[in-house]
Amino acid sequence: MSLDDDDNPAVGVASPIISGVSSSAALPPDVSPDALSVDDLIEDEGTASQDFRLFRKNAHVSAQTIRKGEKDFESHGTRAQVEALEQSRAAMRDVLSYTRVHTGPQRNLARGWYFPQWWEGYQEELQEGEAGSAGEGKEMEKERRPFGYIRERVVVLEGSSVASMNLGRAVTGQAKDRPARGKDWLLPEEALYLVERGSLDLWWPTRGLEEIFPPETTPKEGEGEELDEYDLGFPLSLQAAYALLIGKDDERGKISLQKFQVYSNLKRCGYNVLRAPPITTQPTRCPTVATTTTLWQWLTSILTSQPHHKHYGPLVRPGLYRSYTSIYRQMALIPLHKPSRSPSNPRNSPGEPFAIHFHVWKAAQKWTKLRHPPPDFHLAVVDAQESAVPTLREITALLDATPHAPGKPEWTGPGRLYARLKHGHRNGLVAVVDHGVINYMRFAEAAFGEERIYERFDARGHMKSGGKKYGGGARSGNGNGGGRWGRGGRGRGRGR
Amino acid sequence: MAETATITTTPNGKHVSKIPGLVSPANVPGTVAESKAPTAAHPAPPPRTPLNQIYVLPAPIRTFPLPAFYPHNPVSLLHLAYVWLSQIFRPPPPEPSVVHVGVWDPETRSVHVKHPASIRALWEQGFYGKGSLSRSEPNWLKRELARRGSPEAKTVSELRTESRREERRLAKWERAKAELEAVERQRLAEAELHAAAAAQSKLNGDFNGHIWEPAESTALATKPNGSAHKTSGQLKAPVGPMELLSLPNSSAMLNGSTTKFTGQFMAPVGPMELLSLPNSSSKLNGTTVRLTGQFKAPVGPMELLSLPNSLSDLELKAPCEREIRADLLGSSVSSHNEPKLVNDDEHAVEASAHAHSSQLMHELFVNGDQPNGHINGVYSLASNSSLPTPTAEPSNGTKDIRKLEPPKRRKSVRFSPNVESTTFQHSDPPNTNHSPDVASKVDTPEPINGESISEPVPSKLSPITGPLSMETAYSSLDTTTNVSEVENKEHFQLSPEEAFFLVFSLGALSVVDPVTASPIPPEHLLRLFRSYSYFPPRSGGLRPDDPFLVNYAVYHHFRSLGWVPRHGIKFGVDWILYQRGPVFDHSEFGIMILPAFSDPAWAEFEHEVPKRSWSWLMGVNRVLSHVLKSLVLVYVDIPTPIVFEESMERGGIAAALKKYTIREVMVRRFSVNRNR
Repeated sequence: MSLDDDDNPAVGVASPIISGVSSSAALPPDVSPDALSVDDLIEDEGTASQDFRLFRKNAHVSAQTIRKGEKDFESHGTRAQVEALEQSRAAMRDVLSYTRVHTGPQRNLARGWYFPQWWEGYQEELQEGEAGSAGEGKEMEKERRPFGYIRERVVVLEGSSVASMNLGRAVTGQAKDRPARGKDWLLPEEALYLVERGSLDLWWPTRGLEEIFPPETTPKEGEGEELDEYDLGFPLSLQAAYALLIGKDDERGKISLQKFQVYSNLKRCGYNVLRAPPITTQPTRCPTVATTTTLWQWLTSILTSQPHHKHYGPLVRPGLYRSYTSIYRQMALIPLHKPSRSPSNPRNSPGEPFAIHFHVWKAAQKWTKLRHPPPDFHLAVVDAQESAVPTLREITALLDATPHAPGKPEWTGPGRLYARLKHGHRNGLVAVVDHGVINYMRFAEAAFGEERIYERFDARGHMKSGGKKYGGGARSGNGNGGGRWGRGGRGRGRGR
Repeated sequence: MAETATITTTPNGKHVSKIPGLVSPANVPGTVAESKAPTAAHPAPPPRTPLNQIYVLPAPIRTFPLPAFYPHNPVSLLHLAYVWLSQIFRPPPPEPSVVHVGVWDPETRSVHVKHPASIRALWEQGFYGKGSLSRSEPNWLKRELARRGSPEAKTVSELRTESRREERRLAKWERAKAELEAVERQRLAEAELHAAAAAQSKLNGDFNGHIWEPAESTALATKPNGSAHKTSGQLKAPVGPMELLSLPNSSAMLNGSTTKFTGQFMAPVGPMELLSLPNSSSKLNGTTVRLTGQFKAPVGPMELLSLPNSLSDLELKAPCEREIRADLLGSSVSSHNEPKLVNDDEHAVEASAHAHSSQLMHELFVNGDQPNGHINGVYSLASNSSLPTPTAEPSNGTKDIRKLEPPKRRKSVRFSPNVESTTFQHSDPPNTNHSPDVASKVDTPEPINGESISEPVPSKLSPITGPLSMETAYSSLDTTTNVSEVENKEHFQLSPEEAFFLVFSLGALSVVDPVTASPIPPEHLLRLFRSYSYFPPRSGGLRPDDPFLVNYAVYHHFRSLGWVPRHGIKFGVDWILYQRGPVFDHSEFGIMILPAFSDPAWAEFEHEVPKRSWSWLMGVNRVLSHVLKSLVLVYVDIPTPIVFEESMERGGIAAALKKYTIREVMVRRFSVNRNR
């Protein structure tokens, strides 16, 4: 988005791996951005890295023409400045006036047909198939990922699935005589994203699916003679595509405008985005783990029983103390939050605005639409006007819906205290959409209770004495640097 | 800082009266500290106590750790036994051994601590409270002493912040100056190129003066590229406002043009030339000496080709150029006895006869200098209606040109470290290689008697004036009291949360009533603080979600973990968290408290769920990330009144606080472009 203020031009050159349906998908994955065709680059011009250097091949604009760096806020009358400005303008004009051509119908432009009713009653079929014949390999495949939002898929893609490497989904396990067998079906946001990119021609069918995609069993007609393609349907405009595919959240086959905007923004930025599967009931092992931990906590709390607190203090009883840890232990009143591996309250599912709606993967991975690692980010989409900052219940539910993701194991010791705290134990993204402007916020479950600063106070006093010893050793002469004395010195250094 | 007080000159050269009350050997008038480096003039400061020693205690409680025992060192065993036995037989007083006294002040809703030892102790042992006249650490007295010349000034953080800011401002000013110089250099280089181009094009140009036609000149000003016009033989004088505005910009350009102008030599009638006349008397003197022979203009093509092209060439030719000028002046000043520059307007009237031919020379530059001409033309569209033609009224025309000058020097009135030199002068040190004529003259509208007003004053720009100005500001407020007489007018303020923590958790403070001067018991103190967390203070109707209780729960939570929370209103948050304390590290977290009422029983009680908009969150986050802190939303789950009252009955506030639960949620803005 051009409204984004943190566009980093340095990032853009290296990273964008174009993920789309069109020609880039047909390219091998290790193609460098420079080798990609201009079409792809122009399509991805919306990605925040408006790097016009990528246009140098086609638009004859050299990388140096676009000035980056410091802004000039006023004209200082030098010719160099005026020329630079003029060059930038010319380059921008050249780039914008470049005419995009589809090189071939198979590669760049796919045709999709809008069949909103086809999968309306699919839910039962899916469960039937799962329950019934589990022997077939296809059924096994389906069992592996049981949910694919088949009911929501409304656009069937013409042509081979090479064109749809990252988007769409073929409905497997169908009988051979079904029409459009093996074709890819698109979700509304996928179809609309492709239409907006200019990679998909959305058509309104005037005949049934059986006629447009006859089943494989029926003998093929002579395709050689020129059949008028407008007999089958007619192309839809972008406006029509929006009207057909954008709707309310709970409408089948439609997507809300905010969610589409977030989806499209993420796709243009090079992320891989899939709809998150609905939250299934939690596996049974988690609650048992939870109970055992709480039981253990209870036992330990019994053993290290809290001192009896005076009603109105002082909590720290007057006396002789050997360490600050014992002092601070007496002050602990408010129960500390302990992050756990399993969600604290599995039944507490987030309400609509804060439900995880998308799974997002970074671009720099080997990713296919069927085989992918666990998602990098879990994303909820909210409208800035209709929702507010989440309440405790909402944020807890949101975080419980995300997997346990503690920080890196090497983040230990006081030096990485801030990194541990900031990373948190679970995290989720919330895309706040305000009339099309998207702001992503990361919410993470922090646990300050895990970091007891006071445990270092005694070490501080200890290392102070160590430092004294070290100083004494230095005063008495040299040669005492090793062994115990050296340890004292290091202790002082660590405490600083 | 006795030395800084003795600096007798401020940037504007005025004498500043010294601190009369301070009698020190360094204060004898006449021992002016060198203004180049006042810090170098200091004697070595007294050895400062390391911060680790001052702030060794994390809480106002001492601990008595037993010495370590090393098995291979029997002496350590003896030491251990000795310490242990001595503590057994002569036990130290039970900690907290000192109970500080604070006075509840209902007006400011804070607890005042007056005793100096208590103030230091509370600040150094856990960073509680703030000085009433200070930013946080109570050091008003130190600052006051510094103001009066005590050598302790360096240790006061407010003053250090001040001087750091001053340094930063100067650095920015230097940077801006460097940028300006770069622009100026570029402009000079371009002027040279233009001069060369002009010399070339003049060779095949046609010099017939034409009467100016308005229609054609507008076409000239708005034409996107001037190549067609360059080749057209007919050149006309720039009489219209558009062309006047599109005259060459830099003085160097102009100087180049005057030297290279051929044909019969004429007086400088055009406004730009008038402006480029020498201003200072010294310069004028120099030129009059050389006012001897008749100048012979280069008319032949060979001579024209041998004219200077580069800047160094131009410098070599400079004496020659001066002669031209002197020649000019000789014609107009001849009636005066001493060489003296007359008013520009007069001059222009006298020399108006030559207007056409001199402007003709400018025409060349208009053609060659298309981008500039374009910009100026745009600018003049708004203002040309009121601009008379200079040929009709040369004197008025000159003035108007000068009025329109500012757009070229919009940068010239900023970045100055002090008030005196509000204009950045192009003749200032870095630009020595560049003829200062036009620049200085613009700043001095009426140079009378050849006196140079715009002489560069190096002291104005020396970076030392910044820190000094602060010191002089302090000393200008000076009074005649002696240092020893200064009484500390600052007291120490503890916020209710801090005071209650010291009373309730540590027992290191006793709050007394301001009227009766009797100590307030903790339960009364709690009620007091809770009622005063409303405005106006409530006498009854206290609830578990009192602002004080919610804030205190968070404060207690982080304090009991060892963090140092301090009020974060300066950063737009409720609390900020230091890991060790403000003198050691910057706070890393800003805390925003969000009360939560998740117990379903809350439905029966009246309560107000805070509804925070997203823009609120983004705003808080933006501000915090600008000061490099992370935002933590702290949700405080508040027990229902039933639960709360029941636990208050059972175990007092200690039991009631256990019913509050706290969840921390880190919030960060996620940038899509930086995470892929």
